Amino acid sequence: MKHLLAALILTPTLGLADGIKIEQPIVPLAPPGSMVHAVFMKITNTGNMPRQLLGAVAEGYHTAHIHLSEEKDGIVSMTAVDVIEIVPGQTVALEHGSFHIMLMRPIGEQVEGDTVTLTLVFANGASETVDATVVKMIHGQS
Amino acid sequence: MKRLLQIIAFGLAGPAVAQVQGVELEEPVLMPDFAFSNELEETFTREDLNDSWTLIMFGFLSCPDICPFTLGNLEAAVAETGMRVRPDNMPKVVFISVDPERDASWVSDYAKFFHPQFESFTGERSQINTLVEATDSFYRLLDPDHTGYYEVQHSSAVSVIAPDGTLRAKLQPPFDPGLTAEFLARLQISYRKELIK
Repeated sequence: MKHLLAALILTPTLGLADGIKIEQPIVPLAPPGSMVHAVFMKITNTGNMPRQLLGAVAEGYHTAHIHLSEEKDGIVSMTAVDVIEIVPGQTVALEHGSFHIMLMRPIGEQVEGDTVTLTLVFANGASETVDATVVKMIHGQS
Repeated sequence: MKRLLQIIAFGLAGPAVAQVQGVELEEPVLMPDFAFSNELEETFTREDLNDSWTLIMFGFLSCPDICPFTLGNLEAAVAETGMRVRPDNMPKVVFISVDPERDASWVSDYAKFFHPQFESFTGERSQINTLVEATDSFYRLLDPDHTGYYEVQHSSAVSVIAPDGTLRAKLQPPFDPGLTAEFLARLQISYRKELIK
């Protein structure tokens, strides 16, 4: 899997991810010293072919995985996900309690307002660069 | 948002609200002896439960979504609780990491990020297991992958301990601040009624 991602990212003929719309990419500000950060966003397939998100590479982190947080019978767990399938017209929300891109082992400290640049990698060889903003989450004001 | 409105609507309709954000135990459960600490050599023991309300949450620090979200909501819920209860009845919030191998060297910073008075600790496996069992909670460290990284499963609920050192209730996600505060305020009223009897 890792090799596949590396191969896709290094392919010079890489195109932009036509038909993919990214909205509200954010990285919640994590407690100081955190070795993991999350990226949330909405991904919409505006094209007419199903698309598969395979993973991401983030600048400033050693690795990034797609993860799914789930709660079942009062137990919360996280699992790595190999692919997120997005059919035409569908919006998949990477959000609290569902999917996120987990950024592991940050190289530097993160502060509010920072930008994290990541590259989403799709199964058709396309990639999409996303600038996610580090934001302090405000709770209880919905 | 729509769903939130529905929950609030239910809340206004009556005591059903208590079922949404928390569950009161039928019988209080006395907490056993335990001892936790952090890298600042602060401690959290059975005696720290006496004379104040305590909210205990289990989690781990390599948790980018659920644990920070829960602590963030607890911060908002405790702020809301402050508008409903006397200052001496404000609950303390304690985060216990079930992952001391990765977390022991910096665990104290974690909860403070969400509120300067929130505390976080970890401890020996036997102590973690004692408190997890006593609060009818759960955790499991999963098998490491080829890089040595492992996931941790844990209970989502937060345990509510009364000033007599007994487990009285569990708070449940989504930890809506207003409804959680309402639940805690009601719980404290029924606790005081019980003391008068």
